[in-house]
Formats: sequence, C-alpha cells, structure tokens
Amino acid sequence: MADAGLIAIGAGIAVGITGLASAWAEKEIGSAAIGAMAENEKLFGKGLILTVIPETIVIFGMVVAILLWLNM
Amino acid sequence: MLLPKQMTRVLIVGSRGALKDTIEVLYQLEAAHLIDFSAEEEGFSLGAPLPESSEASQKLLKLRSLEKDMGLDDMEVTGQMGTADIEKDLTETIAALEAEITGATESKNRISVRINELEAEKAVLQNFQALPLNLELYRDYDSLKVFTGRVRGDPSAALKAAAPQSEVFISTNGDFVAAFVGKAQADEAQKALVQFGFTEVPAPAGNVSPQQMVAKVEEELTALRSSMEESIKKLEELKDKHSIFVKAADEHLSIIVAKAETPLRVGTTEYTFAMDAWVPTSDMPKVEKAISEKLGGKVHIESLEVMSRREAHGHHEGEEHHEAKVEEIPSKTENGKTVRKFEFMARMLSTPKYREIDPAVTMMITIPIFFGLMVGDIGYGIPFMILGLIGLKKCVSDEWRTISTLLFFGGIWATIFGMFMFGEAYGIHFAEQHHDMSWSSLLGVELPHEISLGGFEIPLGIYSKLHNVKEILYMTLWIGIAHIFIGFCIGFYNKSIRFGFKHAVIEKVSWLMILLGGALLLLLLVDAMIRGKALSLTDLRILIAAPLLLVGIIMAYKGEGSGAILELPGLMGNIISYTRLAAIGMSKAGLALAFNTIAFEVMWGHDFHVMGSNNGDMIMLIAALGIFLIGHLTIFVLAIISAGLHSLRLHYVEFFMKFYEGGGVEFKPLKVIRKYTTDKNGVSE
Repeated sequence: MADAGLIAIGAGIAVGITGLASAWAEKEIGSAAIGAMAENEKLFGKGLILTVIPETIVIFGMVVAILLWLNM
Repeated sequence: MLLPKQMTRVLIVGSRGALKDTIEVLYQLEAAHLIDFSAEEEGFSLGAPLPESSEASQKLLKLRSLEKDMGLDDMEVTGQMGTADIEKDLTETIAALEAEITGATESKNRISVRINELEAEKAVLQNFQALPLNLELYRDYDSLKVFTGRVRGDPSAALKAAAPQSEVFISTNGDFVAAFVGKAQADEAQKALVQFGFTEVPAPAGNVSPQQMVAKVEEELTALRSSMEESIKKLEELKDKHSIFVKAADEHLSIIVAKAETPLRVGTTEYTFAMDAWVPTSDMPKVEKAISEKLGGKVHIESLEVMSRREAHGHHEGEEHHEAKVEEIPSKTENGKTVRKFEFMARMLSTPKYREIDPAVTMMITIPIFFGLMVGDIGYGIPFMILGLIGLKKCVSDEWRTISTLLFFGGIWATIFGMFMFGEAYGIHFAEQHHDMSWSSLLGVELPHEISLGGFEIPLGIYSKLHNVKEILYMTLWIGIAHIFIGFCIGFYNKSIRFGFKHAVIEKVSWLMILLGGALLLLLLVDAMIRGKALSLTDLRILIAAPLLLVGIIMAYKGEGSGAILELPGLMGNIISYTRLAAIGMSKAGLALAFNTIAFEVMWGHDFHVMGSNNGDMIMLIAALGIFLIGHLTIFVLAIISAGLHSLRLHYVEFFMKFYEGGGVEFKPLKVIRKYTTDKNGVSE
C-alpha cells in the first residue's frame, strides 16, 4: 500500500500539532492559574480544571490519528 | 440524604441578662449556624463582648508569646488536661511560667550575643597571630603611624619606595600587614597601601602576645558554650514539662474568648437581644426543648421559616431581598464514612448549594471506575490498593487522605479491569494473545484464558489495549454518553426542586433528547463508517433520532436562547473527551510494551516463545530486571498523575457542568472543638 506512509505521516501530524496547541494553551492558562493560586489557595480546584480544559484538543487529534491508523 | 439537610430559620430573643447562658446552651447543642447581625435594623445595635473576654484575651496573648519562645507554635503535643485544673491559679501559673521561660530565654540570648562578640574578636586576633609582635607594640607612638590591616599582594617594596624609613611586617600567607611609618610620610604610605587593596583592621587592646589573647578568648568561649548548652537543655526541660499546660490553657482560653465574643454577632437593645440563626429542621425539637428547659422562660425561640428547596422565581416585589437571603442558607451534608472520603474532592471545586445534590456521592462511584479503566492492570492495581490503604491509615491532612482514597478505590477497580477485561500485569498478558510476550511464555507455565467459577466461565482478558483499539474507543464513547446522561438526570432533579417541573423539562429534558438522538446517530455512523454498511434514510434509527434532535434543539433554544445552539458542538466535544479513558490506557500500555521489549527481548535476548532456548547470561538478566523495575516505576508514578487528574477532570468539566452550581455556604454551627482539654461540665466531647 503506497498510501500507508502518507497515512502514518497524517496521523503523526494530527497528534503532533494538536499536542503543541494543547501545550501552548495550557501554558498560558497554567501560569495564570498559578498566579491566582498564589493569591488564594482555594482556587486550586478551579485552576486545575481550567488548566486541563485544552487537553481535549490533543484528545481530538489522537482520535483522528487512531481513525486514520485503523484505515491503514 | 443526597441533598443537604433541611434548614429552619429561627429567631432567638430574650432578656439581655440571659445572653451568656443562651450562648452556652447553643454551644452545647452544636446545631445553630449563627447569621451575623447586620446593623440595618432600627433600634438594635451590635452586642458588646462579655466581660470575661478582655481578661482571657490578655492571658491568651501572654500564652501565645510563651508558645513562641518555647517553639510550640506548630508542634503537636500529646496529652489532655481538665478545664478545672487549668482554671486553678491560672493567673499565677502563667506569671510564674512567664518569669521562668523569659528568664531562660533571655539568658540564652545574652550568652549567644556574647559568643558572637567573642567570635568576632577571635577572628581579628587570628590576623595578628601571624605577626611576631606583642599587642602593646602597636600603639602609643609619638612619631610613628601604625597601619594594620588586610592586603592583596605584598606591599613592602611599594612602601619602601613611598616611605624609605618604614618597617613592614607581613604574614607568611601575605594577606595581613603591619607597617610602622614616620608620621611625615604617613600619607604617602597610605596611598601606597591602598594600591594593594588595604582595609584597616585596628589592633585590639592588651599587653600580651596575640597567642595569649586568643587562648584567653578560647577559654571564655568554651565556658560560654557549655552554659549555652545548659540553658538550651533547661529550655527543653521547661518545654517538656509545661507544653501540655500551655497548649491546654491556650485552647481553654480561646474557647472562652470565642464564646465571649459571640455577642458581636448578635443584635441587642438595652434590655433584650435577638439572634438570627439556621438550625437543621431535624434538630429543632432538641433545640426548642433545651432552650425552654435550661433557660427557664427568659429566652424564646421562634421558627421563622422552614426553607424549601424551591426558589422563588416569580416577579413579586422584594425579590431582591429574598434572593439575598436565599444565598446564605448553609448546606449541611451528612455523608457516610466512605462518601465523606470523597467530599474533599468535590469541595475542592466548590461547596454545594442548599438546593442541590451533593456531588460527592456521584464521584464516589465513577471516579474510581474511570481511574481503574485508565490503569487497567493488576501489576499497578494491587500496589495502588496497598499504597492507598497505608495512606488512609497514616495520613491526617485532607489532601493526602483524598489522594489515598483515590488510589485505594481506584486500585480496586484497576485490579478488576486488569484481571478480567484486559488480563494483564505490567503490560504483559497472562496468556498468549496476538503472538505477544505473555506471562505464560515468560514463566514457562501455561496460564488459562479463563477461569470457571461456579459453572460460569469468566474470561481473563477480553481486550488487549493495543490490539482492540476500535472496540475500546467505541466503549469509552458509550461510557461518556451514559455519564453525561446521568449528569443531565441529576441536573433535571436539581432544577425541578428549585424551579419546578416545567422549568426542568425545558432546560434539561431538551438536552437529554439531544443526547439520545446523538447516541442513535453514533450507532448509525459506526455502521456506516466502520462496518461499511450503506446508509439509508428510512433506517429506524434515523426516524427516531431526527425528531428527538429537532424537538430537543427547539426546546433548548426556547429555554436557554441562542446560546444553546452554540453548546451543541460542545456536547459532542464532551462525549469525545471521554475517549481519553482509552487513550491514556493505550499510552500506558505503549510505554509498558517499550520497557518490556527493551528488558526482555533486547537485553536478556530471551526468545519469549520458548523458555528453554534462552542463551542470555545472569548479568544481563539482572540488568533486564533493573530496566523492568525502573520503567514500570515510571509508569506507576505517571499513572497517579495522568489517570488521577484525568478522572477528576472528566468529573469537574464534563460531568459537573451538567448539573452542579456550587458556591454554597458550609454549615458551621457554634461549637467547640477540644483537643487538649476535657470539660466535665460541658456536653461536648
């Protein structure tokens, strides 16, 4: 199958770029959340949630990658 | 049970003379959550603290400063004292203790100051020790100026050039110099010295050699150090002897002050007082009885309103005022022993409102299941269980107890899933599947694919995390749909008790319909995309799903406005978000596979299909086991972080958004907590 290589590259891009996107978003939120927590420790729970929200982006990317891989 | 306890708003009024006794009774009942008196009401003013408050505060201040001196601030002390023993000669005891401890601390401080002085003196003298001169030779000259100090480099030549008639002594290591220069040439000499970074060190007083001086200083230092040790020992002794008294008296006085300052939260007039409070409805008879019996008619309690869960939603006048009161109803949740372990996790987000279900119950069920599904390996599950059990036994702080709870219950589920669903330990299947490494081939023992229990064949391992990705992904989508379905159902219940059935139908049933319609479409999509069946518009599932979706969307639009349309993709995102249950399991299985391959195939060189053909040697086997251990320890730690955090997140973000508002006020009744004291008169423990 000549397409196998292209599919693999596509799957890699799907995970890689969404991973970068999640990381970037989490970096911004995470530093703000730490700042807020420094002022009020009770915000830990809310900060944690807000920080992991962008994680969904990479999960989407991974689902796409798995679907691609299953079609290989 | 699931909702916080029902509250009654009460008004307690009485003559001002009975205020102290009323406070005492309420503290014993531990059932009244006082509402701070707001000075709005006419004719009332804030109460003044009871007279004993100021004296107790003063004593408390002294005790706290003693605690600081003794280093007791954060220390845990064991033991208890009766309040009667504390009360006896309290003032005298504190005064005596203060004198004793302050004396000891002061003498310790004096000694330490003197030691520092002598250390500095010794440091100076050590410089002069390097020069062959007695100390009296450094001063009292008419025509000479003496320079003594540290230098960088040897200044003798430069000094000779600047002041030919000078005498220079320099230490053997060349960093300390004493120069005797004629007064006329002093300026020149100083300039020369400065070139060498000269910093002056004046010669100390004394008529003996520096060596003798140092010996004298050393002698004094030794004496001081031993008396320092003595005073530290004495302080330790005092600390051991009096710590329990100090802690107990602190607690006792704190309680007195807290009680004596309670009137600050109460409205009073010249002769009466009025107290606003929340009391759990079930405690009302007890409270009424205690007040009428113990306070003998001087105080009257009246139940103003039993707070219903229903929220006023009409547009009647004074709504603002009513809403403001509504926000303050405290929530008192009464959870069982197990649920209480999960309370902190829910509270970390927010305290539940009076009018909603405490989510700790739902967390107790699903958090460990999700954790277990993500880990899904008995090799990690059993250690998690043991670790959690130890944590629950040993840890005291809420944070650590919560983590231990998660590990223990999650570990149980991880073991169950690892045993029956994935059939693996440390990423290796029990019995051979898909020609992978398996424990059967590694150990050379044939492990069964299933066990039979009472006539039932129970499989050990249905799915492989890396080979049955499709099935596991599909399963997690359904877990997501079910979980969110439960979320909407709880949301429906919360809304219906707060705003009524109709409101709840519009707001939540609409979403339930959308969810079900979407689920049916998912079935269809799987058929079309994965199984490759042809789509037909007359499929029964489309015929059911389409109206469900349509009506649901219209209802949501009517109930929540155009924002509802924007939330539609969000709902889909929420469900796809549950695929992380599969994804994290997979990533862990992938890591484990990598470590196992390195350890057993690459390093040990073991052909894992046939036990006998191994030609690797013992050293490589040990190295392989080392890699195996380190690798799996890494995965183990990562599992706590990723599986734990992600199962929490699935609840906080995807699940709670469907029903939980939070932002309630915790029920904090007037009560005393005694740790170091026992009170025979009081009812409290």
